[in-house]
Amino acid sequence: MSLFIEKELKESNISKYRKKALRNNKIAGIIISLGGYGVVLSITAILLFLIYEAVPLSFSAAIEEFSFFNSKNKNEKIMLAGLDRYVEVEYLVFENGIINFYSVSDGSLLKVEKLPLKLNEKILCADKGSLSNEIFSVVTDSSRLIVAEARMLPNYDRNKRVIVPELKIKSISNLSDEDDSKNRSIKLFKYSKNEDGNDFWAWVNDRNELFVKIFEAEEEVFYFHSLIDQVRDVEITSLAITQNGESLIVGENSGELLWFDISDYNEVKLKDNWKASASAVSAIDFLIGDNALALGTTAGEVQVWFPIRTKNNNFKFQRIHRFKSHDSAVSEIFVSSRNRSFISIDESNVLQLNYSTTSETQVKFTASTNSITTASFSPKSDALIIADEQANIGIFKVDNDHPETTIDALFGKMWYEGYDSPEFVWQSTGGTDEFESKFSLIPLIFGTFKGTLYAMLFSVPLALFAAIYVSQFAPKKVARIIKPTIEIMAALPSVVIGFLAGLYFSPLFQEHLMTVLLIPVLIIIMFLVSVFVWKSIPEIKRVKFAKGTDLLFVLPFLVISFLLAAGVSNILELNLFDGNINQWMYEVLGINYDQRNSFVVGFALGFAVVPIIFTISEDSLSNVPQSLTSASFALGASPWQTVVRIVLPAAAGGIFSAIMLGLGRAIGETMIVLMATGNTPIMDLSPFNGFRAMSASIAVEIPEAPVDGTLYRVLFLTALLLFAFTFAINSVAALIGDRLRKKYARF
Amino acid sequence: MNQASKKFFKKGDPYVLLTSLGLLISLGMVLWLLAIVLVKGLGIFWPRELVQINLKGENVYLGELWNSGKEISENEFEQIVEEEKTQLKIGNRDLYGYDFIWISDKEIKTMTKPQNAAVFERSEYGNLYGFILQVNLNNEIVTDSSELFNEAEKGISLAHELKIKLDEIEEEYNTLLTPLNKIQREISLLKVNSDFLTDEEAKRLNLLKEEENKLTESINQPRIVLEEKISTLKERLNSFTVNVITANGDETLMQLKNVVRLYQPNEMGIFGKSIHYVQNLWEFLSGEPRESNTEGGVFPAIFGTVMMVILMSILVVPFGVLAAVYLNEYAKQGALTRIIRLSVNNLAGVPSIVFGIFGLGFFIYIVGGSIDQFFFSDKLPAPTFGTGGILWASLTLALLTLPVVVVATEEGILAVPKANKDGALALGATKWQMIKKVVLPNAMPGILTGLILAISRGAGEVAPLMITGVVKLAPDMPLDFNFPFFHLDRKFMHLGFHIYDVGFQSPNVEAAIPMVYSTALLLIAIVVFLNLLAIYLRNRLRKKYKSSSF
Repeated sequence: MSLFIEKELKESNISKYRKKALRNNKIAGIIISLGGYGVVLSITAILLFLIYEAVPLSFSAAIEEFSFFNSKNKNEKIMLAGLDRYVEVEYLVFENGIINFYSVSDGSLLKVEKLPLKLNEKILCADKGSLSNEIFSVVTDSSRLIVAEARMLPNYDRNKRVIVPELKIKSISNLSDEDDSKNRSIKLFKYSKNEDGNDFWAWVNDRNELFVKIFEAEEEVFYFHSLIDQVRDVEITSLAITQNGESLIVGENSGELLWFDISDYNEVKLKDNWKASASAVSAIDFLIGDNALALGTTAGEVQVWFPIRTKNNNFKFQRIHRFKSHDSAVSEIFVSSRNRSFISIDESNVLQLNYSTTSETQVKFTASTNSITTASFSPKSDALIIADEQANIGIFKVDNDHPETTIDALFGKMWYEGYDSPEFVWQSTGGTDEFESKFSLIPLIFGTFKGTLYAMLFSVPLALFAAIYVSQFAPKKVARIIKPTIEIMAALPSVVIGFLAGLYFSPLFQEHLMTVLLIPVLIIIMFLVSVFVWKSIPEIKRVKFAKGTDLLFVLPFLVISFLLAAGVSNILELNLFDGNINQWMYEVLGINYDQRNSFVVGFALGFAVVPIIFTISEDSLSNVPQSLTSASFALGASPWQTVVRIVLPAAAGGIFSAIMLGLGRAIGETMIVLMATGNTPIMDLSPFNGFRAMSASIAVEIPEAPVDGTLYRVLFLTALLLFAFTFAINSVAALIGDRLRKKYARF
Repeated sequence: MNQASKKFFKKGDPYVLLTSLGLLISLGMVLWLLAIVLVKGLGIFWPRELVQINLKGENVYLGELWNSGKEISENEFEQIVEEEKTQLKIGNRDLYGYDFIWISDKEIKTMTKPQNAAVFERSEYGNLYGFILQVNLNNEIVTDSSELFNEAEKGISLAHELKIKLDEIEEEYNTLLTPLNKIQREISLLKVNSDFLTDEEAKRLNLLKEEENKLTESINQPRIVLEEKISTLKERLNSFTVNVITANGDETLMQLKNVVRLYQPNEMGIFGKSIHYVQNLWEFLSGEPRESNTEGGVFPAIFGTVMMVILMSILVVPFGVLAAVYLNEYAKQGALTRIIRLSVNNLAGVPSIVFGIFGLGFFIYIVGGSIDQFFFSDKLPAPTFGTGGILWASLTLALLTLPVVVVATEEGILAVPKANKDGALALGATKWQMIKKVVLPNAMPGILTGLILAISRGAGEVAPLMITGVVKLAPDMPLDFNFPFFHLDRKFMHLGFHIYDVGFQSPNVEAAIPMVYSTALLLIAIVVFLNLLAIYLRNRLRKKYKSSSF
C-alpha cells in the first residue's frame, strides 16, 4: 500500500521535476534567442540612431502661421513690429506714436505705451537699429528723431516665466540742428546703433537729398553731413547702414549702388560705386556680420554681395549669391539676428525665406492678401511677425533649424564671406555670434583618406613581407616567438602609440629629419649590397644554410644603414642644405614642415595596421595545404617560385581580407590621428603637413556641440559616413575574400 | 656570370631577403616602441643626482641633468657651427617661474655635485632644489650641519602625523556641523522665494529657524572646543619649517607640511637609491595625483579603469555568451545566422569613436535624459544620468567589445565534442540542461578568452570614453562607503585618458611627460599581460579541440 503511494509520490515528483525542467528549457530558449536577436538589434540600433540624428539636416525649412489677429486700429498705419526671445509677447509701433504690447497666445493687449509726440505729430518713418535688442528710431513730421527701446525681459516668478514689457525712451533730437525749416517729407530712413552706443541715421527727403547724422555717445557730440553733392541726379530708392556704423550703402533707381565710408565722423567719403542690376535697387540690408549685403530689385531679383579683396588690396563688392526671383518688385528685406537668413517681400505680398551661405531660397509663399507694411524676425529667428495695412498681424513659426547644411554645403565648394573664391572649408565654431559656420565635410574626408593612404603605403609592404617570411621561410621555432610578439603589437592601446607619435616621434623626426629621410634610401642601397654579397656566396654553400640564416644575414646590413644614416646626415645637411634641411625645404622647395605631420601619422598608424594585416595574412598563408607546396618543390621550383606561383594565389583571399581590415582600422583610428596631427583641416597631399580626420573631429567637437544643433547633427552624419565606409570595406573584404578563396583554393 | 645572376634572380633569393627585411623592420618597430616606454617609464623613479653648474657669468644653477642636444647657428664669420647644449631641470617653479633651462655648454665654467644638495618634493610648485640652512621643529631650532637632514626628515614625519590628526579633527568638526548646514541650506532656499511662499512653506520656514537656533545652541560647546583644537594644531603644524638656500643664494622658508618627501641624492648609495626607487614606484601606483595630474600617483585612474572594466564585463559577457549559444545551438544555420554573423563582423569593424558618439547621443542624452526626467526631476536642470558617467561608458564599451566575446565563445562552443552533447540529450536532458551541464562548462576557456580580450580592449580604449564619462580629475570614486556604494552616475578617471590628458592638455607638458611614460608603461603592462593570458588560454583550448576531434 505504502509502496504504491511512494511510487505515485515519486512519479509526481518526477513529473514535477520534468515540468520544471521543461519550463526552464522553454525560458532559456527564449532568453538565448533574444540574445541572438540582440546582436542584430544593436547594430541596427546604432545605424538607425545615427541616421535618426543626421536626417533632420536635410529637412527643408517650413513656415506656418500659428497666431493671427487684428489690432482693431485700422486707421493708424503700423510702422514697426517685433517679438521677444520666447515668442510670448509682441509689440506694434503705430503711426500716432502708440506702442502696444500684445500676448502672442491670445492676442490680448498687455500694455500700452506712447512715444512723446506732440499733438497731431505723426511718425513718417521708423527703423530698427540693432540686431541684438529691440532699439528703434522714428522720424516725425515735425522733423524730430526719437530713439526708444521696447524691452521685453523675462521675470522668473517661482519658475514660471513672465515677460515684462516696457518702453524706454533713449533720446530725442531734431533732424538737423542747422536747418530745421525744411519740414519736408522723409521718403527713406535708416537707423543703426553700434556696440559703443553711437547712433547713425541716414535719410532721404522728397527732393532726393541724402543726409547723415551721427551721435558719438562718449563725447556726446552730433555730426551732421549733407550728401547732396555726392548723389547724382538719380532717384535714391534704398538705404542701408552697417550695424557697426562704418558703411552706408545707397541704392539707386538706375540699379547702381554707392558705398560711403562713414567711420570717420568728420568726413563722409564715397568709397566705391558700381552697377548691381539693370533695374532699380528697391531694398537693401546688411546681413549679420556687417559684411554681406542682401539686395532686391524692382525686377524681383534677390542677390547677396560682399566685398572681395582685389589685386591692389582694395575691397570691391561682388555678386556672390543669387536667389530665386520674385515675380514682382521686391519691396522689403528683413535680416535675421541669428544666422544668415533673410526674408524678401515683394509688392504682391509674396514672402521668400533665403539663406545667404547656401544661395538657397528655402520657402516662398503669399504671406498676406493685403499690402504688407512691416515684418520682423524674432530674436532667435524661430518666428516671424508680419503686419499688413489692414492691421492684421500674423505670427509665423519658422522651422529652419539647419539652414546652413545642404548637400552642396556639406560636400561642395561654398563661397564664404571673406574668402576670395568658393572653397571647401571646415570651421564649425567661431569666436562671435556673427560667425558664419562652415560645414564642408570634404576636408575631413580628405584628411581621413590622406592618413589612411600614408599608413597603408607604409604598412602593407612591411606586413606582407613579414607574413610571407614568417609563414614560408622562418624556422618553426622562430615563428612561434615572432607571431605572438606581433599579435601583442595589435593590442597596444592606440593612446600610447598616439602619445609616442605626438610627443616622441614627431620632435625626434623634426630634429633628425635628414637622418629620417636618409634611412629609407640607405636601407635600399644596403639591401642591394646585401643581395650582392649573398650572391657571392657559392650556391652550394647557400643551400646548406639553416633556415633563418637570411634573417641574421640581413640584420647587420640594416643596422649599418641606420648607423650610416645617423653618421652621414650631419655632414650632408651642413654641406648640401645650409645646415638645416627644414629651412632649406621651406626656402627652396616651398614645403612647410609641420612637426606633427602625415609622415609621422603614417608611421604611427603602422603600429596599429601592421599587426592586423600580418596576423590575418600569415594565417591564410600558413593554411595553404602542404600538398600544394610539396608538389611545387617536387617539380623543381625554388622556395620563392613556389611562394609566388602557388602560395600567394592560394592565399589571395585571406591577404585581400587582411588588407581591407587594415584599411578599416586606419580609417576609424581616432587617438593616434588626434594626437599625432595638428588637426588643421587643410587639403594638401604633402606628407609634411597635418590634416584633420573625421574621427578626430568627432572626438574633439562633439562634447562642445549643443544637443540637436547643426554641429551635433553634422558630427552624427560624419559618424554615419565612417560607419558606412567601414561597413562597406568589411563587406567587400568578406565578399571578395570569399570569392578569391573559392577561385584559387580549389585544388 | 650573366647566366648565373639571371638564375639567381629567377630563383628569387633577393626577394626572400626582402621579406626578411620586412620582418626585421616590423619587429624593430615593436621593440623600439617597447624600449622607449620601458626606459622612460621606469627611469623616472630612479633618483637622479643633483648637479651644480656655475656659468661664466654670475649665474649658478642646481638641478637634474635632463637632456642634451645640439644647436646649429652661425658665428660672426658666417660659418655654420654646432654647439652642444644641456637641459637642466632646475625646479623651484615658485622662484624662477619655469622648471627647465637650456644651457650652452661653452657657457659652463664648472660642474660639481655638491654632497648636501637636497630635493624637496612638494605638494605644490613641483620640486625644490637647494641646501638646508636651518630646521625649526616647534620652536626648537637646529643649525648643526651634520644633524640638519635627519632633523628635517624627522620634522616631515612629525608634520605628517600632525596633519593626519588635524584632518581627523576637521572631519569630526564637519560631521558636527552637517545637520546645521542642511537646515541652513533649506532655509536659504526658502528665503530666495520669500515673496511667493505658501502658508505651509512659511510655517516650515519658521519651524526651521527655530530648529536652527536650537541646534546652534546645542552644538556650541563642542564646537568651540574643536575650533580651539584645530587652531592650536594648525599653529603647531605651521611651526615646523625649514630654511633653504638655493644655488644662486635665494633663501626661502618652507613649511614642512607641504613637503611630500626629502632626499639628498648625491649622498645616496645604490641601496639607498633602490629603496627610494621602490618608494617612488609605490607612490605612483597608490597615490593621488598632484599638481594637475603631473605628479603624484595614478591610483584613482587605475581604480576607475578597473571599475569600468568590471561593469563592462558584467554587461557584455552574458549578452555575448547568449548570442554565441544561440548561433551554435539554437538557430538553424541559414540566412538568419548569416545575418547575425555579418552583424558581429561588422560590429567588430566599426570605429570606436562611432560607438562613442552613439553612447553620447543615445545612452546619455536620450536614455539618461529620460531617467532624469522621471526619477531625478528635483535636481534638474543639473543632470544626474543625463551626463557622462561610468554606467554609460561601460555600456558603450560593452557594445564595442561584444564581437570579441561572441567570436571567442563560439570558438569555445565549437570545441565541445558533438558526442558529449548527443550523449547528454540521449540521457533525457533538455536542451537547456545539456547547454548548462555540457556546453558551457566545456566552453569556459573560450568564454574566459573572450572576457580577457574584452577587458584588454576596454582598458586600452580611449576615444569613446572621453565623450561618455571620463574626466581628467574625478572628485569622488565610483565606489565608496556612502550609500548606495556603487555610484553609476559618477564620472571617473581612466589610465588611457590620463595619458592623453596629461600629455596633451596639461599646462606644463615638459614637466608632465615622465609621468605620462610611466602611465603608458603601466597600461601596456596590463594590456600585454591580459593578452598573454588570453593567448595561453586559447592555445590550451585549441589543443583540447585537436585532441578531442581525433
